[in-house]
Amino acid sequence: MIFSFLAVFVFVSPAFAESSEESASTDIVSAEVSIVSAYEVVLEAEQAGGNVSGLFARLSEAGEFLAAARMSYGNDDFDDATLFANLSGDIGEEVENEAYELKDRAQNDGFQRMWFTNLGSVSGVIVVGLGSFWVWRFLKRRYP
Amino acid sequence: MAKVEEYRGLYVTGSLVLMLIVAVPTFSLFIRIPDGSEEFSELWLLGPTLKAEGYPFNVQVNESYLVYVGIGNRLGRSAYYMVYVKLRNQTQPLPLASNSSPSMLPPLYEFDVFVRDDEVWEKPLDFAVLDVSTANDSMLLRSLQVNGFVFQVDEVSLWDEERGGFFYQLFFELWYYNMTLSSFQYHNRFVGLWLNMTGS
Repeated sequence: MIFSFLAVFVFVSPAFAESSEESASTDIVSAEVSIVSAYEVVLEAEQAGGNVSGLFARLSEAGEFLAAARMSYGNDDFDDATLFANLSGDIGEEVENEAYELKDRAQNDGFQRMWFTNLGSVSGVIVVGLGSFWVWRFLKRRYP
Repeated sequence: MAKVEEYRGLYVTGSLVLMLIVAVPTFSLFIRIPDGSEEFSELWLLGPTLKAEGYPFNVQVNESYLVYVGIGNRLGRSAYYMVYVKLRNQTQPLPLASNSSPSMLPPLYEFDVFVRDDEVWEKPLDFAVLDVSTANDSMLLRSLQVNGFVFQVDEVSLWDEERGGFFYQLFFELWYYNMTLSSFQYHNRFVGLWLNMTGS
């Protein structure tokens, strides 16, 4: 009986610690990938003209959790490292999804804006051109 | 009396200029004129009253000290920064500005920060020395607490004859995420805080 307990402590505990360390490490890497991916999409949404201030605030929140995960891992606190990494990764995924939607909306708005601007400009150029021609003909007839 | 035909060139030029002005909104969609401003980031450290004064210097064991670390983004685009908080003694090297290389010392604490263009970020950092021991002309700093995280540092500092004390430096390195390299890169900026632990 005593031998069994000792066997559990000697063989199972280190194995469990190793697996939780590996799990924490994997979760941290996964959170890092998630955050970087979200950041890249947020930048694309920003370049498309979307208002990303809310998304940046949430990315910073995810960044705080990621930093906490890395520091917990460095202190051999693998449970907290896993917890913080998962929180960070979850926020990263949410931000990425919202950023994709925002990017699509911003691109559509931008396309419409560009279309109206081009239409206005081209119409303006045509009106000015034709108007100038008409005024010139009028002046020529009036003051030959 | 002058004939209208004599003003033909002037009239055509005026009309073309007017057409060009009307077309400016469309041109502005496709032509980007660089503003010529310099791209850089700022990193600063402020005292407990959010001013450049009252920085902690004489440090006691188990006393908590507060500073503020800040970043200003003037890169012309939003950026993903990392601030590494590191500790060194008098002999360990600082980052080298000449070849943009960071300190080789491991980071204790870190901030992962996203800052939009032309915006600033600022956070408090409180720290406390938890455990030190002194023997003859050396001091061993065993553990340090930063923003609630406890770090085993085991850093030795020798007695500084010139300044008369045991000194450590807490310093902050700025890194940023380089999209081209897909990794963090040292941004060649750091600030430091000397700590006199003689009275600890």
